[in-house]
Amino acid sequence: MAQCSEIGMMLGAFEDSELEPNEMQEVAFHLARCESCTGILADYSTLGRDLRSIAPEPSLAGFSGAVVARIDRIPQPVLARIGRYLRRRSDQVGAGLAWGCAVAAAAVVTIFLITPYAEQLANRAPRSSASIARTESEAGAGANQVADAAAGGPAMADNDSHADISRLESENHSLAVWSEPRRDTTVIWLPDQP
Amino acid sequence: MRTPGRQHGDEAELIDRSRKGDGEAFGVLVERYQRRVVGVALAVVHNQDDAIELAQETFVRAFENLSKFESRSSFSTWLYRIAANLAIDFWRREGRHVVLHGEDADNEISKLPSSQGDSFKEVSRSELSARLSRALEELTPEHRAVILLREVEGMSYDEISDILQCPRGTIMSRLHYARTHLRSILKDVTGS
Repeated sequence: MAQCSEIGMMLGAFEDSELEPNEMQEVAFHLARCESCTGILADYSTLGRDLRSIAPEPSLAGFSGAVVARIDRIPQPVLARIGRYLRRRSDQVGAGLAWGCAVAAAAVVTIFLITPYAEQLANRAPRSSASIARTESEAGAGANQVADAAAGGPAMADNDSHADISRLESENHSLAVWSEPRRDTTVIWLPDQP
Repeated sequence: MRTPGRQHGDEAELIDRSRKGDGEAFGVLVERYQRRVVGVALAVVHNQDDAIELAQETFVRAFENLSKFESRSSFSTWLYRIAANLAIDFWRREGRHVVLHGEDADNEISKLPSSQGDSFKEVSRSELSARLSRALEELTPEHRAVILLREVEGMSYDEISDILQCPRGTIMSRLHYARTHLRSILKDVTGS
């Protein structure tokens, strides 16, 4: 049987289950026959229990806040400080960015959808306010004038002045329509009926 | 018995954010480990106010040195090591005790009165608490640290070895000394 002095060195580790398996077995065999070592082992166990029972539990209220406050006072490189500031604002910035993108997208879609109608409205407005001149005599000036109009050249005689046809609205074999914005007039030309 | 802290899945992310200066992320880590870090410091200095101050200093040092932390060891062990080193340095600066190593410690054990065969007798709780506290005061910080890290914090020998940066055999030797010393003091008190 191992001597008590040898086993005594291992009793604490035996109590902690930190010995090798063969050592655990050796101590266990010894304890089965040795009251003295069994008493010491019981004392170690009691000692551990007592140490746990008197261990203070310091109050940690405000501990982490105090640590973070100390960390905030540590001088840091400018880039690191900017990064921290941006991260703290990231939620707000992110939300603002999302709203901005949503509004911008809505605006683009709206413009895309209303543009054709707006153009039509813009083109119709002069027509509705302008008197539609339909003078067969002028129209009868001939197909040459229409041809000139189509070419964008001078076309219509209005009293003593000439009018430029700036835009040919419609062109087919039986009808020609053009606007003269400066005179606020839309001209509809119908060919002579046979 | 308190159990060792577990590794958390989000810990790597919190450490990474803390490295970039994110104080809030580091605050989460502080909340997670503050009790155990205070426990480690308390095991060495055996004074609550000093332990809390040292624990705060531990976290500040850790934050400042996060770039040096390598993920090979666990973050908690790294923290506890800083805490233990700061606490032992603090204790030595105070110059209250002579620290014994190796054979010196073994010689001290041999000088202790024999305690074999004697068990503790009943003493009142408050008296026991006072005597144990005084007995702990008489230990060196190294010996007190190992016995309290083991018995109160429930750390394994390997964990204590990592934190105090000394061989496992030294931990076993210190534990044996601390237990023998505490038991002998308590035996003297309760047996008289």
